[in-house]
Amino acid sequence: MTPKDNREIRDTAFDAAELERRLAATWTTPPGLLGALSTVDHKIIGRRYITTAFVFLALGGLLSLLMRLQLAQPEARFIGPDRYNQIFTTHGTNMMFLFAVPVMQAMAIYLVPLMVGTRNIAFPRLNAFSYWMYLAGGLLLWIAFVLDTGPDVGWFAYVPLAGPQYAAGKRADIWAQMITFTEVSALAVAVEIVVTVFKQRAPGMSLDRIPLFVWSMLVTSFLVILAMPAIMIASTSLILDRLVGTHFFNPAEGGDALLWQHLFWFFGHPEVYIIFLPAVGMVSTIVATFTRRPVFGYLGMVMALIATGVLAFGLWVHHMFVAGLPRLGESFFTASSMAIAVPAGLQIFCWLATMWAGKPIFKTPLLFVIGFIVIFVIGGLTGVMVASVPFDTQVHDTYFVVAHFHYVLVGGAVFPLLGAIYYWFPKLTGRMLNETTGRWVFGLIFTGFNLTFFPMHILGLRGMPRRIYTYQPEMPWSGLNMFISLSAIVLAAGFLLFFIDAIRSARAGATASANPWGATTLEWATPSPPPSYNFAKLPLVDSLEPIHDDAFLPAAIGLRVDRRELLITSVVEAAPEARESSSGDSIWPLWAALATTVALIWSIFSPWAVVWGSIPVAIALIGWFWPKDVPEDDS
Amino acid sequence: MSDRVVETLKPALVAGGVLLFICAGGLLGWLRQPRELRLDPPAAADLDQFRLMHNGISGTPPQSYFALGKPYEADAYNLSQGKRLYSWFGCPACHGDGRGGVGPSFLDGWWLYGPEMVSIVASIRDGRPHGMPAFRDKMTIEQIWQLAGYVQTIGSYTPKVAAPSRNDDKNSRPAENRGPAIIMFDEGPTGAHFDQGPSP
Repeated sequence: MTPKDNREIRDTAFDAAELERRLAATWTTPPGLLGALSTVDHKIIGRRYITTAFVFLALGGLLSLLMRLQLAQPEARFIGPDRYNQIFTTHGTNMMFLFAVPVMQAMAIYLVPLMVGTRNIAFPRLNAFSYWMYLAGGLLLWIAFVLDTGPDVGWFAYVPLAGPQYAAGKRADIWAQMITFTEVSALAVAVEIVVTVFKQRAPGMSLDRIPLFVWSMLVTSFLVILAMPAIMIASTSLILDRLVGTHFFNPAEGGDALLWQHLFWFFGHPEVYIIFLPAVGMVSTIVATFTRRPVFGYLGMVMALIATGVLAFGLWVHHMFVAGLPRLGESFFTASSMAIAVPAGLQIFCWLATMWAGKPIFKTPLLFVIGFIVIFVIGGLTGVMVASVPFDTQVHDTYFVVAHFHYVLVGGAVFPLLGAIYYWFPKLTGRMLNETTGRWVFGLIFTGFNLTFFPMHILGLRGMPRRIYTYQPEMPWSGLNMFISLSAIVLAAGFLLFFIDAIRSARAGATASANPWGATTLEWATPSPPPSYNFAKLPLVDSLEPIHDDAFLPAAIGLRVDRRELLITSVVEAAPEARESSSGDSIWPLWAALATTVALIWSIFSPWAVVWGSIPVAIALIGWFWPKDVPEDDS
Repeated sequence: MSDRVVETLKPALVAGGVLLFICAGGLLGWLRQPRELRLDPPAAADLDQFRLMHNGISGTPPQSYFALGKPYEADAYNLSQGKRLYSWFGCPACHGDGRGGVGPSFLDGWWLYGPEMVSIVASIRDGRPHGMPAFRDKMTIEQIWQLAGYVQTIGSYTPKVAAPSRNDDKNSRPAENRGPAIIMFDEGPTGAHFDQGPSP
């Protein structure tokens, strides 16, 4: 392109209506099935991701109800031991790998490009690919489960139980390969988020003007990039041990069973923060909006996020206190486990200070944040308890631990997430969730959650082990178990009401304005739901709160409108650096994901799948990168 | 406007698609044999009622074995149980890791009493001449079938997807899931059984 003929197709050359018309023509996903399958719009993919993750949440919740049905009475006969093993394994695996991590990344896929003021996420086709991989991994686990060949080795699949000698059949392989699917998709999204945040921020959004949610997703993405390779190595080694007969975890041939635990928890502990840090960002955003003031201690919050991210890699051994490790190691990891309470406590106090000084408006999102603070603090306190080796030795593998991690994970991630859904639902769908129903949802879930999980602490102290499918009537557990099962119905009713409200409001809720909460981050400066190009003119960011009177300062950039183009800015100052084309829609990510799926599932059965399966993958990738003679290709 | 409808229906379509997949899987799962951790006593007793030919080679399994879906030949759980029983009941003392020793090899492609399950079950249950002891008083009939399934897998002519993998021990040869034993058939320089005609 010569300078002469693209001067008149820059965004500076048109009035508002004509600009929007031309941008829509360039960016909008075409209608129809092919359009839906080949879209690379981060908003469509983000919504898909969120919806799918919530479907998996509902399915995982059904499994927990089945477990509560079985455990309500001693010697119950609803579910046999083999099926029960599959149920608790699928429940844990599903909630961690198919719900918690993907839903947080999905919120980022939708929100981060809007919050940093760009037109699409970085590597949009990789984004589409990651969704298809995630969907395939989820289907693999669930189809295997209903085929009665679901994994039955616990969500962390310890060897030798999950190894070739003791885990017969393909159940453990399905677990391990499902990990590969979700890790591929999670890594892809993490890379996109990092690049989007570092290189695509709106001009003027220097590091100290990045919204806290974006900061939290940036730190989370780095955690994903650093933690997930450990589990990929672990699960691949497990498959190799089981299928090819390697000896990574075979002590008799020089392998090491404990190696599995180290590799798994080197991922598994940061995983907790991969789930929790996005929630921190959501809470900060909601608190700021509903107290009408910026979060107290922005710098401290960012530092706490980064500190948590760094410390997260120094804690993994506290999952292994009863594995027979040296005393020095146990003491070190006790200390580091307690140290993580410092940044977490800092964040809690910053939010409390913000609410203390502001005038809180108690809408549903803020209610969930308050529920989060209460539940997460309780979970944090039991966390400090189990960080101490003597105490942990007593309660290890009991329901005390079950209570602890449900308090931390549900309290620390699901409550903020539900608050975030209530908060961003207008931006996601263009409609509001019902406020009255929202209060009922919060009340039911908060009450149901505490009544369900608090008694589990007591059960654990009374010695009830985890993962048992039944217990004898003589044990002093039956009354509390019945109480827990009944409370679980209250909790489930809350979620049911939430799903009904969400589906009903998405179809017929009150129409939302662009900025219904009076928030100050960039995503609220564009209509609800946003147009395909996000912003007609890219914003110019002059402070931490770039919106004044529901509008921002438009930047005169001169981006082309006849092709998908976005602005690259510098990492620290976000000074404009270059115009860069952004890939258009393509069906090839779907083909690539299908080819990868075939190769990965086939490789459960034969190592040759890696050889022959790579051919279709290579073909799909060639098709993906082949120049298509579109304007985006000629930069 | 229709765009809007498509947009709001999309989550429902995705959810519906996922549920449809899972229901289809559920139908298949319902047709599948569940993992039997402990067989019903009457079904187990019936496994004892197979009929052998008069020469003790080959015969007919009980009808219930087919009704169960031939679980001891093609079910990963039973085969891995058989592999465990193989070492627990001292089989390696005579048969080694499958390559034989004092007793015959399972890996050379030859079955002295034929490769049928009933022959192998009968060999384990009732013993055979030249040193094979009877295990009928040491193992349940269900365990004998599990062990027989594993022994058949060691020397099977075709691969079994459900074949067990390696143990967490020293391993002297690739595990059964690494392919059919036929690739490991070893007749020695003159053939192990030259009196019985050409190799299979």
